[in-house]
Amino acid sequence: MVGVTREQIVADLGKIFNDTMGDWEYSGEITPETRLFADLGLESIDIVALGGAIEEHYRRNFPFAQWLAKMREQQVDDIRVKDVIQFLQDNLKSSLVRESQ
Amino acid sequence: MTDRAVLIGLDGATFATLDPLMGEGVMPFLKEFLASGVRSELLSVIPPLTPPGWASLVTGRTPGNHGVMDFFRFESPDSRYIRLVDSRDVKCETIWSIISRQGLKATVLNFPLMTPPRPMSGNAVPGWAPWKHLPRLCSPQELYDKIKAVPGFNVQELAMDLQLEGKAIEGSSKEEYEDWIHLHIRREKQWFEILRYLMQEDPCDLTAILFDGIDKLQHLLWRFIDPDCVPTHPSGWERRIRDLCLDYFRQLDGLIAETVAMAGPEASVFLASDHGFGPSTEIFYINAWLHRQGYLEWAAGAIEDTSDAGRLGLGMISRSPSMVDWSRTTAYGLTPSSNGVHIAVAGRRGQHGIDLKEYERVRSVLMDQLYQLTDPATGGRLVTQIRTREEAFLGTRMDMAPDLTLSIRDGGFVSILKSDVVLKPRPEVVGTHRPEGVFMARGPGIRQGRSLPALSIIDVAPTLVHSLGLPVPSDLEGRVAAQIFEPASFQARPIRVGEPTQVPEPFPQRRDRKEDKEGEAQVLERLKQLGYVE
Repeated sequence: MVGVTREQIVADLGKIFNDTMGDWEYSGEITPETRLFADLGLESIDIVALGGAIEEHYRRNFPFAQWLAKMREQQVDDIRVKDVIQFLQDNLKSSLVRESQ
Repeated sequence: MTDRAVLIGLDGATFATLDPLMGEGVMPFLKEFLASGVRSELLSVIPPLTPPGWASLVTGRTPGNHGVMDFFRFESPDSRYIRLVDSRDVKCETIWSIISRQGLKATVLNFPLMTPPRPMSGNAVPGWAPWKHLPRLCSPQELYDKIKAVPGFNVQELAMDLQLEGKAIEGSSKEEYEDWIHLHIRREKQWFEILRYLMQEDPCDLTAILFDGIDKLQHLLWRFIDPDCVPTHPSGWERRIRDLCLDYFRQLDGLIAETVAMAGPEASVFLASDHGFGPSTEIFYINAWLHRQGYLEWAAGAIEDTSDAGRLGLGMISRSPSMVDWSRTTAYGLTPSSNGVHIAVAGRRGQHGIDLKEYERVRSVLMDQLYQLTDPATGGRLVTQIRTREEAFLGTRMDMAPDLTLSIRDGGFVSILKSDVVLKPRPEVVGTHRPEGVFMARGPGIRQGRSLPALSIIDVAPTLVHSLGLPVPSDLEGRVAAQIFEPASFQARPIRVGEPTQVPEPFPQRRDRKEDKEGEAQVLERLKQLGYVE
């Protein structure tokens, strides 16, 4: 996982969105501020599937359940694309630390 | 015997309802099928639940080894957070993979635990896939474009829609019952049309389809299906719901008949369910009881049961860890579907909990208390059997299992919600799972008109592999159901034992992705939309 930059994560996420959004009715612009529930109309089960796609791409698990639970505890009512990017960056960074130890 | 086989999954099917339906003429084909084939009860695993049931059926392994024990699993060995299980949680090889490695092909439709797609030869349209994601989850990925052209295709009804699925678990208003039944009739027809298309366009050695409406209807509408529960003097509306339920089974019978006809007389046809069904009449609030006994303290966000159903939907169950004050809890029920009780051991999933040295004593005391728990009205015991994790889940994955798994007296599932009472009668009878599912088989070399002693659900995979003429992997826990075959036929083709199964890769490289074939143009467009590429 060495060398995963924010730009690479953004590119990866773009690829994953492209792969998953084939038949949706959503055709608006997706930006870092786009909300997964309110704007894209996703349901919680879609977030689970999206998480699965991200894990398949990186071929590793991420603590999505813990992350979502903490967002709920903080009463965050929606997830933005930039939140996903930051979550991945944090976790890929921590895996780099673990791998180097 | 032949080298082609068809597996028709009937989620939640039980002879308790199928026998009366065959007797009343609602399922004439099934009756005819059994007259020229064999039948037996198919004993499910603990707990008798869709994910562990089907995972056991398609791997020939027990939950303690394949690792699927519930709809959910802990996110990691040291986490309290839970997530839905998927194909990556099936730690043993499936029959789809076993036969693919030996040069055969399978078509697999609507089976759970098929996402993300795993390597196999043939076609797979997964069950339990959110409709928005179905295009990328078909295998090979271009299969989706083909099935889209099948008459009557409606992806929202075909695939998982959480709001619709929730009705089976959380209940729905009576006004919605008719639409609910019609939906499942349409849904089974859609899956059948895809099956028909693939059997014609790309016939495979093993064709498998799962019809899951039986489970959904029986959960919600058991009192209209089970002859013992049907009102003696039904109202017009009750009669109409009953008739619609019968129509569902009548049409399903027709779809099974067409599937068997398409397979032809040379194919071995197997029908199997993941678990059985029966009535549930009361709600046992396990966490409310644990709270009263001093094992559990509720967190501020605990969800109180304010409904008559006592059920917690799939979307909410993942929040259950937030219901508990972990600093003051030593035992808890994590999900209603597992009927499991977990003991919090300090250092296992966080710092709080009992000392590991106290584990055996605490578990033993808790078991005694649960066995002594009685219904105050009748004095009857509520918990009829408790299995330790060593008893229920012995295997390589046992560390993820509940410490105790309960069987409760009405055969149902516990509620994990907060409640003022420990036991509450349900306002109306609902359907719930039982271990006794169904097994039926017909084909060349299979006995005719025989009712046989119960089989285990883990016997189905080795029996299928043997029927396809392949050696049975040496490490399957199930055995070939030799008793279903004519002795002469069986002796002519005895069981061959083959190499052990292969452990699935956690993240295999997918080689059938449409995206890889279509180039980067769309990716770049999406990146532009994201605002990161000019």
